[in-house]
Amino acid sequence: MSADQLVTTEREVTAPAVVRKRRSLARPVLNVFMIVIGLVFLLPLLWLILASFNPTADGTLAMPHPFSLLNYHLVIRAGAGAAIRNSLYLAGVSTVIATAVSTMAGFMLARRKIRFKGLVLVLILFLTGLPITLLLIPTYQIFVHLNWLNSKFYTSLVLASMSVPFSIWLLKNFIGQVPGEFEEAAAIEGASEISILFRIVIPLIIPGILVAAILTFINSWGSFLIPLVLDANPSDTPGAVGIYQFMSANGQVQFGQLAAYSVLFSVPVIILYLISSRWLSGGFSFAGGVKG
Amino acid sequence: MAKIVLRRVTKSFGQKVAVDDLNLEVEDGEFVIVVGPSGCGKTTTLRMIAGFETPNMGTLHIGGTLMNHVPPKDRNLAMVFQNYALFPHMSVERNLSFGLRVRHASKKEINTQVHEIAEMLGIRPLLDRKPAQLSGGERQRVALGRALLRKPQAFLLDEPLSNLDAALRTQMRFELKRIHAQFPVTTVYVTHDQVEAMTMADRIVLMNDGELQQVAPPETLYAEPVNVFAAGFIGSPKINLVSARIDHSSGGSALRCLATAIPLTTEIADQLRSAQSETVTIGIRPEDILPQSPMDDTPGRAVVSGTVEVIEPLGAETHIAVRVGDDILTCRTPPRSGLEMGSTINLSFDIAQATIFDGTSGLRLC
Repeated sequence: MSADQLVTTEREVTAPAVVRKRRSLARPVLNVFMIVIGLVFLLPLLWLILASFNPTADGTLAMPHPFSLLNYHLVIRAGAGAAIRNSLYLAGVSTVIATAVSTMAGFMLARRKIRFKGLVLVLILFLTGLPITLLLIPTYQIFVHLNWLNSKFYTSLVLASMSVPFSIWLLKNFIGQVPGEFEEAAAIEGASEISILFRIVIPLIIPGILVAAILTFINSWGSFLIPLVLDANPSDTPGAVGIYQFMSANGQVQFGQLAAYSVLFSVPVIILYLISSRWLSGGFSFAGGVKG
Repeated sequence: MAKIVLRRVTKSFGQKVAVDDLNLEVEDGEFVIVVGPSGCGKTTTLRMIAGFETPNMGTLHIGGTLMNHVPPKDRNLAMVFQNYALFPHMSVERNLSFGLRVRHASKKEINTQVHEIAEMLGIRPLLDRKPAQLSGGERQRVALGRALLRKPQAFLLDEPLSNLDAALRTQMRFELKRIHAQFPVTTVYVTHDQVEAMTMADRIVLMNDGELQQVAPPETLYAEPVNVFAAGFIGSPKINLVSARIDHSSGGSALRCLATAIPLTTEIADQLRSAQSETVTIGIRPEDILPQSPMDDTPGRAVVSGTVEVIEPLGAETHIAVRVGDDILTCRTPPRSGLEMGSTINLSFDIAQATIFDGTSGLRLC
């Protein structure tokens, strides 16, 4: 081995050692930084849970003493249960409508030759960026004209329409990933367009549909302004509006009850995540269907 | 079963003409293989028959019915795709029965037919499995089974064996021939593999650059190619194509090529003279070129001398590439011929067995 080769070999051996040392220092620093960031997000959540079990909770982080379900009892008696049921109705109906419409629209936009398709897609993309406040007054006027005010169903239609543009984009892209040969194979076997959508495309993009549905559900679940403006019926008040009214109705802020209300309001969304995570983590699988 | 007729069919994608003025008739129960290099328009032709593409011009009839604008679902065809296209979320049983289910067949009928076809293709133990749990060969059988189950009026197969290994491909070739013998349904089969075309087809449809080159039974296509492309595409090892100049002198006609003058018989000379070609391309199949032997003294047999450049022993035979002047001639020799690379060899061939093409148009002259 020549001297040159020896020098090169030595350099190759020492260089990674320096990099390793730098990495070994960087990792703990990075970990501490991430733990701090994590705590910043975790502490309010921890306060929320602890305060919900503390009848004398205030703005400070403290262990409940005694540990009590009184806050939950009081907020349910004050109508939190009914408000959450209303939220479930609004979010559920708007999710079903928005997902159904978006799936069919996404299928047509992904697969069919449509005149001015590019323009339509740009328009849909533009709609995803429109602020709700811009649409609320004309929507209210339409509701007055159609006598649709104070109706949970029509309110959920508006909530659905708010999520449809983004869902269409999302589902169009998911459907675009399904190999076209599946649809062609189904078509030559005699399946109609609607049969192809329901028997082939939808089962293959269930994780994508779930993503769209969960996003719509969360949007509608947390929606405040639309139900506040379009449905003034007290028995239709959803959770998001209920929390606001609860805060302002009692003169003095009851931190414990507010925390219990917030925990109750979060439970359905957490359950939804837990149920759907099985499909969400699966991703799309076309394995064995097509080669490569 | 049905006859498929394409009349003056043209299909373009933007400026690109994929299929140009195609005329083709596939008879009832016939097994036709469309072959050609990549991008020649063979898959587009198949997709037009299937209904996935609509011709820009011309007519397509299946079973006597005009099909230009009939959607695929109403054509009663079955297709096997290159990439299987099995529905990954369905079991083998549900994949097989898909066509019957969308046609609302009775459960009893579905069950009977699925089990019959699964038995025939040897996939009965796989009925409960998903496509991901099958090997390539098993997937291809399921795809075939799905196509066979509905008893369509024609089968369309798009390079169905291209994803299989060599041994399985040979096995499936036999199987497809057996199935076609059992169910003689009109079949259009697309491939770029000339071995599949030669071994399976009743007739071969050869395409290039969107144009039909020749339609003929395999033996005819091999022995009587209509042009240089057809001669060059069919046959392995490839036909030897040698450029030559025609020399009509008072002493008789000859072809000047391979650093020699090959005398022509009066019959060939007359044919070339009437074609008024000055240059030609001679096509000589490798099996028609032999190492020189005493019988090569017979008149009309040309003898050329060259240097062995490549030797490819294949077991049953050996292919050798011999440089003769600027050309390389490939010929088949018996195994263990004792030849060495770099050695000089005399080769002989009968010009009457060769195919002669026009040097400009590439069309066959004699």
